[in-house]
Amino acid sequence: MIADAASGVALALRGEGDPYALSRFLRQGDALASAAIRVLGADALAPYALDHRAGPGGEDETVVREALAAFPPKPDASDVSVWSYRGLVEASHAFLPGGANQWPPTPQAGSAWVATDPWPKLAHRVSQLAALALPGLASSLADELTARTDDLARGFVRAVRRRDWLQAAGLGRWLARLPEVPPTLGLDSGLGFVRQMCGGDARVTLHVVAAQRFYGRGW
Amino acid sequence: MVTDRTARIETEALAAEVDGLVEPTEPDGVFRDTRECGAGLLLLGLLLISPPTPRPKTDTR
Repeated sequence: MIADAASGVALALRGEGDPYALSRFLRQGDALASAAIRVLGADALAPYALDHRAGPGGEDETVVREALAAFPPKPDASDVSVWSYRGLVEASHAFLPGGANQWPPTPQAGSAWVATDPWPKLAHRVSQLAALALPGLASSLADELTARTDDLARGFVRAVRRRDWLQAAGLGRWLARLPEVPPTLGLDSGLGFVRQMCGGDARVTLHVVAAQRFYGRGW
Repeated sequence: MVTDRTARIETEALAAEVDGLVEPTEPDGVFRDTRECGAGLLLLGLLLISPPTPRPKTDTR
């Protein structure tokens, strides 16, 4: 189900297929659909970041509300889990009208790890938050990550060498958003390579397509 | 009542699965160091093309 939804998002980002509607892939009242939205996070609404926003009071709004209500971060949740939830809330604020019922408030997520994590751990964590690499989302996190661009570039190379395509694609997507990526990294061809080698993995493809569509990197 | 309890357990299992998917552990990587592989191939090639070990001649003439 996650793969199907990710494929649908990637297709919409490429401008192919029917006009995007999240509720066409993930229907309301289905616990698995809510789980899939929580896993995809802000990416579930990524096509709305392009130009066309969802209409007010639509089914998309309902399925996102269900996902946010069903899987809130627990009190002892990790920073990644809170950031991921926050990304979905921010995307809902930005791309869905909200209607009469307000969206949940954006939770506070810790970011001390950005400065203190050693680079392999940082790279792994940042790749888990690839869905936040959407225009206008998690701006404070993007600003803090800019200072560690070189470490993320190291992580990208490491992930490619490990053949960890999901991590490589997630990192490549973040690097595409950051302003000072070293040109010697070869990010564009690297992302193309990851896409070729991932064997059609839907989530990897989604990250590569998002990097291309929103930031013009990769092929 | 039994149904409710089952539903709660299923929800908790699903929540745990979601946590695992949101924050997947890093898989163990398999490294193949290009330099080590190259050195191994070179050694194998040298062994294959090396001349046979000289043997003492058995001709007694």
